[in-house]
Amino acid sequence: MQYRGRYEGGSYRPVTSPTVLGPPRFAGLPVVSWAFAFRIWIAVVVALCAAFWLQLEAASSAATSVAILAAPTRGQVLQKASFRFLATVVGAAAAIALVGAFSQTRDLLLLAFATWVGLCVYAAVLADGNRAYAAVLSGYSVALMAIDQIDAPNTVFEASMARGAAITVGIVAIAVVNDLFAAPDKHHGLAQQLAALHRRARDYAHTIVHRQATDPAEAAALLRDIAALHPDITTLAPESSSGKMRTAAARSVAVALVAQIHAARTAQSRAFWQRDAQVLEGLEALEASVWPKQSWRIPYYRSQRLAAHAGARAALWIGLSSVVFVLAGWPAAAASLGVVTVVVGLGAITPNPRRFTELAVFALPVAAGLVGVLEFLVLDGVTEFKLLALAIAPFMIGAALLTTLANPLLASVGRLLLIFTLVIFHPSNPQSYDPQSFLDTSLFACLGAALLLAAQLLIPPVSDERRRQWLMASARRELERGPSRLSRRYSSEEAMFRDAVRIGQITATGAPAPVLEEALSLFDRAGLNRLEEKA
Amino acid sequence: MSHSFPELVVDGVLIAPLVTYGIAALVMFLALRPVLHFIRFASLFSHPSIAELSVYVMILGLLTVLF
Repeated sequence: MQYRGRYEGGSYRPVTSPTVLGPPRFAGLPVVSWAFAFRIWIAVVVALCAAFWLQLEAASSAATSVAILAAPTRGQVLQKASFRFLATVVGAAAAIALVGAFSQTRDLLLLAFATWVGLCVYAAVLADGNRAYAAVLSGYSVALMAIDQIDAPNTVFEASMARGAAITVGIVAIAVVNDLFAAPDKHHGLAQQLAALHRRARDYAHTIVHRQATDPAEAAALLRDIAALHPDITTLAPESSSGKMRTAAARSVAVALVAQIHAARTAQSRAFWQRDAQVLEGLEALEASVWPKQSWRIPYYRSQRLAAHAGARAALWIGLSSVVFVLAGWPAAAASLGVVTVVVGLGAITPNPRRFTELAVFALPVAAGLVGVLEFLVLDGVTEFKLLALAIAPFMIGAALLTTLANPLLASVGRLLLIFTLVIFHPSNPQSYDPQSFLDTSLFACLGAALLLAAQLLIPPVSDERRRQWLMASARRELERGPSRLSRRYSSEEAMFRDAVRIGQITATGAPAPVLEEALSLFDRAGLNRLEEKA
Repeated sequence: MSHSFPELVVDGVLIAPLVTYGIAALVMFLALRPVLHFIRFASLFSHPSIAELSVYVMILGLLTVLF
């Protein structure tokens, strides 16, 4: 029996010729990528135009907001925007509190700031997706609002208000542009991804039945891919008035898929087909935008130990960089510390923080070079807004296109270029075109990233091997303790999804086959224990 | 006679009337979403996102005119 093809109305239709042709392309890239890049450019121009018209002090923050919120679907943008706004409010409150408490003692202020960033990174590692982003933004907002004003603490409130206003303008600009230019919704793509995973789950069960033994990497990859949809599922809610029902339906499909794989691995034929029916019901509910018959939560596995280590290291990196800046006494040290904090924060929500810093060390000089070309060769003293809008087009569209590439390295470089180009260019009304200011900003931004890399070489992030050991130890400990503790909080299926998230985290550390085999065996036994307790 | 706009003052900080109207319209729009889902509002339009944005703009406009 073949399950290849497109999911439609409870079954899989064979792939038809239009599907085989693939999406339309222009200049080697899909048209949807070009549409996304043009939307980002238009949103940056609209945000800048509105911020200049409103005479906001931090007008460039509106454009940077758009670059940070650049995501291909509406739901992702709206969810990230709401978290960005909330995190800015939290960051502003923390900035005012820290400056109020330590305005006369620079060293204590920097110590308190490093501790705050450490706490925010700790919270970020306990979450995923846009929640993690909000946690780190609460941390680095303090650098942009309080540390940047370290020599004039009485202006922190005004700086916070100016940044908040500019961020709001940026959020409104990208939300309206996405709505008017019909940015795609996530639920279509997510339904296809879930249907593809369902086919893989059935193929996996087919392999087990016919060959008896399977490659542990295949099962671990399948569970990792299902768990990886966790942040995407939560972005369905803000998309439309039917978003809540679609989120519930997608959650039930993801949980049923994990339970289906568990049933296949533990040779429970009847349970396997029950789960299969639940997956199909959930997919139908997602397509019809109605509540699913069975509603489950999708708990995320949180490792307190990993989060505590990541937070402590982030605080130490900020502390070390601060000591160097204090001893050096450079003029633009506050801005440089801001770059250090932003890179620490954004790196904390990637699987490998040091790799992210290396990318930033590469991307910052490239972004500075691009801004040099834009400011002193292309614009060169221009004051008309129309010319500014046209001049930034190739830089914004090019960087946004890079972010859509399948290669994760190039996509990350594109994202960094999109953000850092606007940060270094710092569009204002009127534009200063001061070569010294440009050189200072570029130099100190690059210096900040290089200094952070040095700090991370001195105090390295938690290694993949240690992370793997901790995650495996936690899985073993939970199995030894028995299911009672988790059963109070989650149903057996929800707890299985949480275990799948942990297997995804173990897989991300590049675990060898014997470790994956043990992790899957623990997953099977823990699931069976919970089902027995439930029965 | 020109229409005067109420200014919100939070602990001595003046907040522009448009911000107040914008937040109030957002709250009303979010409260309206279950009704929009019930009447299958999204299926009535080829681009539901533009239609929902228009509903928000209408609520904002009404609030600005009436209050």
